[in-house]
Amino acid sequence: MLTLLLATVESAPAAESGPIAGLKQTFEHFGVEPKLILFQLISFLILFGVLYKFGIKPTVATMEERNAKIAAGLKHAEETQARLAAAQSESAAIIKAAQLDAQKAIDEARKAAKEFGDKQQAEAITRAADLLTKAQQSIELEHKKMLNEARSEIARLVVKTTEQVLAKKLSDADRASYNEAATKELSAL
Amino acid sequence: MAADKQTKLLAKQLFKLSLVNGVVSPEQVTGVLGWVEKYAHRRPVALLKAYHHRIALELAKSRAEVEHAGPISDATLKQIEAAMTKRYARPVTATARPNAKLLAGLRVRVGSDIYESSVASQLATLSV
Repeated sequence: MLTLLLATVESAPAAESGPIAGLKQTFEHFGVEPKLILFQLISFLILFGVLYKFGIKPTVATMEERNAKIAAGLKHAEETQARLAAAQSESAAIIKAAQLDAQKAIDEARKAAKEFGDKQQAEAITRAADLLTKAQQSIELEHKKMLNEARSEIARLVVKTTEQVLAKKLSDADRASYNEAATKELSAL
Repeated sequence: MAADKQTKLLAKQLFKLSLVNGVVSPEQVTGVLGWVEKYAHRRPVALLKAYHHRIALELAKSRAEVEHAGPISDATLKQIEAAMTKRYARPVTATARPNAKLLAGLRVRVGSDIYESSVASQLATLSV
């Protein structure tokens, strides 16, 4: 194209000298008319205006509207995400508080159970000690009672045997002597 | 039949009439019995029972029953009589009654009082 354009410039008669005259000749050679260019420019502007009014402007408005919607959606999404994060934080705090409360309740229950168990154990020990003491006292009493019964029985047997022996062995002289002593004793009362 | 209050009071009065110097007099008792027989009381049996009870108690206070094991002399009885007469400040007569269960020694009963010094009582003390 450039070679063809250079050839045309070189081969064109030099009716007028200078580059402007040459450019003019070239435009004329290729059929370029200023009027046509002007009309084409006007037509283009009219077409541009029509397209701008009925095509580009509504499209731009729609795009801006969609952009606004998208921005609003993004903002809403961010807000939702923030609320979600806040809700998660709140729920985490609530769960943590609930865990603390539950742990506290468990600790108190364990403490109460331990105290109850200790108390029961102490009472059981006390009862066992009381039972042991009572059993020992009962055994001691039973032992003393048995000893007393044995002592009484032995004494009774000894006295009975002594009576039998004395009844056989005491002579009248012995009895008379004892009677005199008894008389003196009773008289001295 | 139990004696009522009036019968007991009358028996007490008759009992006092039966004493002479603090001692039961047989003559007075005979007179009291004659009076009771002559003047019939509305409850004569109850009256005589109450009177007999008082006379028996009084006679028992004047009598010392001496239970003994083995021989006992009259001197011993006299000695006991003297001791009881002095103790009760009234004439006390002693009567002897053998009791072999005493083994040896004496048991003197004056009324409801008992004085004992015997082998059996000492052995009984040991067996308790």
